[in-house]
Amino acid sequence: MNPIITAFANGIKKSGVELSDVVVVSDIPFEPEIVKELGVDFFHVTRGRAIAFGTGLKLGNPDLKVVAFIGDLMTLGGNHLVHSGRRNMEMLVICVNNFIYKEIAGIPAPSVSPGFSAFSTFEKPFNAPHLANSCGAIYTARWTAMHTNELTNSIANALNKHGFSVIEVLLPGPNFYKDINQINSELLDFYYKNSITKNREDTRNVEITPEEKIVTGEFTDKEKPPFIDTYNAQLSKILGDKFIPHGGQSGRD
Amino acid sequence: MKANPRDVNTGIYYMDGDVAAGYGALAAGCRFIGGYPITPSTEAAETFARIAPKAGAVFIQMEDELGSIASIMGASWAGVKTMTITSGPGYSLMMEAIGLGAMIEAPFVILNIQRGGPSTGVPTKTGQADMMQARWGSHGDYEVIAICPDSPQELFDFTIKAFNLAEKYRCPVMIMADECIGHMSEKVVIPPAEEIEIEPRRFYEGPKEKYLPFKADKDLVPKMVKAGDGYNLYITGLVHDERGYPVKNQMEKGKRQKLPTRRLVDKIRLNADKIIELAEEGLDDAEVVVVSYGISYRVAIRGIEIARKKGIKVGHLRLITVWPFPDKKISELASKVKAFVIPEINYGQIVFEVERCSHGQVNVVLVPHGGGGVHNPDDIAEAIEYAATEKKKIRKVVEWKTRLEKFVFEGGYKLNK
Repeated sequence: MNPIITAFANGIKKSGVELSDVVVVSDIPFEPEIVKELGVDFFHVTRGRAIAFGTGLKLGNPDLKVVAFIGDLMTLGGNHLVHSGRRNMEMLVICVNNFIYKEIAGIPAPSVSPGFSAFSTFEKPFNAPHLANSCGAIYTARWTAMHTNELTNSIANALNKHGFSVIEVLLPGPNFYKDINQINSELLDFYYKNSITKNREDTRNVEITPEEKIVTGEFTDKEKPPFIDTYNAQLSKILGDKFIPHGGQSGRD
Repeated sequence: MKANPRDVNTGIYYMDGDVAAGYGALAAGCRFIGGYPITPSTEAAETFARIAPKAGAVFIQMEDELGSIASIMGASWAGVKTMTITSGPGYSLMMEAIGLGAMIEAPFVILNIQRGGPSTGVPTKTGQADMMQARWGSHGDYEVIAICPDSPQELFDFTIKAFNLAEKYRCPVMIMADECIGHMSEKVVIPPAEEIEIEPRRFYEGPKEKYLPFKADKDLVPKMVKAGDGYNLYITGLVHDERGYPVKNQMEKGKRQKLPTRRLVDKIRLNADKIIELAEEGLDDAEVVVVSYGISYRVAIRGIEIARKKGIKVGHLRLITVWPFPDKKISELASKVKAFVIPEINYGQIVFEVERCSHGQVNVVLVPHGGGGVHNPDDIAEAIEYAATEKKKIRKVVEWKTRLEKFVFEGGYKLNK
């Protein structure tokens, strides 16, 4: 987890975003103690609800830069992911994917590819960047925890985007998981060596499979008006002068 | 503090309870509602969504109730007053997050327009069967405040009251209305803004580096800040200390720590006398006391009238605040009166609280109703008559057989032994 937090800290610095504006929301699996030292506000909520909680934070105070660190993104948080993408809620989601429910003795997660699982899973996994892209995310990327520079740049880019951005980060699970899969080298190393960077790749082609190399890179990068702007535009069209705009890029009430 | 005139649509209206609640929320200064439509509460959300943009407030229709309640807690910590609106099934989904709300001490209001029956139940008909869920729905130790309005006017007034209580005690506050009140159209008076008392959020004003998010004041309630104001907040649903940092063990080695969850319970229990609001009528010489809340209160008034015509001395105690429960008042009455009669639209919830507080001194008679409608006042009158004449001390709750019960079950089930 620490390489990701380091990249996150450097990413904030690089993006030029005011540190006190950044609010990190995470759910049950991620409770990184190191966040205490970052100087950002941190909320640790019930599992899967980080995006929904972040939605409230953003609408409560549109000046905030909400970052959601999520583990249960595609299970418990799945619906929130889908709909926040659809709304283009201004938020950065960092999905930390270690292929496994780490704390609960290695039960495979819905992002596990059959060949990678602890106990051979047969279910088809989610392709996180493609899922986010098809839901309407304006920025998607995937890196391993070893790609610190690329991850830092990616986070900096995403923080300056106005819309729903998703970055998937591959992180090694615990040791027993490594043993079961007979990957003897260090997992972190394994991910890194087994990956190939293809920026602007079509997200349909970036599924993680044991046969092929893991595709990393920045996949989606487009512009679309964020939720608060569309909200303001729609209501001022209906209500005219009576409408009091709600923050967003057009300034806060 | 007085309400902002921009938020108050002053006037005399003929409107239903749900709509009144929507107006009440805005008048109370609510700036964010995350909701998901559900009968019979939808009109409240609709109303707010219609009037909010003119006052700079936001309504968002979230993807589900889980998202709704999580979003209002986020907005609450972002510094605005928040609320969500739901009914039974949605309320059940929200239970997970109510514990989180109590734990991170986010002030917020839930309006529950109760429907009848479990599960999908009777969406368009009334019920009062979520009362215990309101108190015990989420896991772990926590306390909530729940208030029960009895008319559209009170849905307006109590929505404001709920916001004030939430800001004052920083806990989940629930308005436990029911479909009957929600869909009942009556005269509602919305007073001018200067007549509406609003409890402002108590923000911390002091040096930034000395701020501790969960360090309580004398009334056991900590002061709040806004996310994004540079306080380096660490807010978690884990059991935490005053700094907000998780404590793995409530009794840390070597030094005695204040139990972090103790205060969550105490801030409501020790302030209960200030929170609890009751209405009483004719209690002085009463032999039988009817304890009621919500729509059942209004039906019980008629039942009492009928009983009084027969010469029975009946008093009426209305629970405006159901949680925290008025233990003291019930105990005090139990030593004076002969019996309690509790009409409620369920098969026994608040009646057991009354039984607990009466310590076996009096008979406790439940007038049940399965939901989907309200009591027949004659049933309540007959139950009062029975309670007044019963000489035997029955050491358990007596369930009065109402007309409806007799009709539906023909005297009850015969279980095979």
